[in-house]
Amino acid sequence: MDQRKDDANWSPPRQHLEIGDSPADFNTGRVQGRRLTGPQQGFGQLWQKTYKVAIPNRTPEQIIATWKAEYGRFWPSNSRFYAPVTGIKPGEVGLIKSNQGPVPLSTGVLVLYSDDTSFSYMTPEGHPFAGFITFSAYEDEAAGTIAQVQLLIRTNDPLYEAGMIAFGSRAENKMWEHTLRSLADYLGSSAPVDTSIVRVDRKRLWKNFRNIRYNGALPWVRKVRSS
Amino acid sequence: MPGTPFSATVRHEDGGSVIDLVGDIDRNAGDGLTAAYQEATLGRDQGSPVVLSFRDVDYINSTGIAVIVTLLAKARADGRSLRAWGLSPHYQEIFQITRLADFMTLFETEPQALAVS
Repeated sequence: MDQRKDDANWSPPRQHLEIGDSPADFNTGRVQGRRLTGPQQGFGQLWQKTYKVAIPNRTPEQIIATWKAEYGRFWPSNSRFYAPVTGIKPGEVGLIKSNQGPVPLSTGVLVLYSDDTSFSYMTPEGHPFAGFITFSAYEDEAAGTIAQVQLLIRTNDPLYEAGMIAFGSRAENKMWEHTLRSLADYLGSSAPVDTSIVRVDRKRLWKNFRNIRYNGALPWVRKVRSS
Repeated sequence: MPGTPFSATVRHEDGGSVIDLVGDIDRNAGDGLTAAYQEATLGRDQGSPVVLSFRDVDYINSTGIAVIVTLLAKARADGRSLRAWGLSPHYQEIFQITRLADFMTLFETEPQALAVS
């Protein structure tokens, strides 16, 4: 196999998340040492969610460079992304605090892959989702340059699956639509965000039921049940 | 660097169906790979595995990994074994990182991939 040298685009081999310096107000216990989870290590139905927006007059490289440099700026105000100190580079870990659901969430993502026109995150145990989130930009003959977020995810456990059905899926859509809207505004485009959702596998992976032991909302559930 | 266009062709062998993958596996590979899987499994019983040959694959990026995961989920939903051979050490490592290798056995040669029952 005569391959291009893309070693530098991929994260070095690792099975667990290792974080270095972290913000003082961040609970690293929900990230440090957690194993990475691909979609087949999750529990819920497998979804492919694609969000895209046209950003004419910008190249894919310009869009991705801006996205990486200003990543947290485009998130909604109820969530915060702590970018790695060295930037969004393969093997680095980004930290996330979110207040979207009934329980505040602290988690993280591994930068799995990064090149000039795309980058991808992979999630760890305890994250609401198991899977990949890929950010990319590409030329489209009709619309010009497109910026896109694509998720290939299952919820990680039955509790997150229930939450996803109740409110999480809509919140997830709003979050990524907001992100793309903000990115497009920042780069001077007023084009609408297009959302496409495909259920890739309707089966739930019951053998991964025990992922629930990593769910950060469990203490909250126990407290609610006992009160 | 310009990429090599993706193509996928199907062969039916004694031990199962083989999909010969050629070129770059990226966002553009999804439709071709899905069509090849459908051709590979059409009329074949569930116990017949599908073997992906990566021998002539030049490049896989993260959107390509997502395409392969989607195919793996489809195969598992069908109750069918999906196997791989011909991956370079570099991409074997990527399959380990992304945990694709937890669910798709990697083989050194095509006869090995077809021989396992």
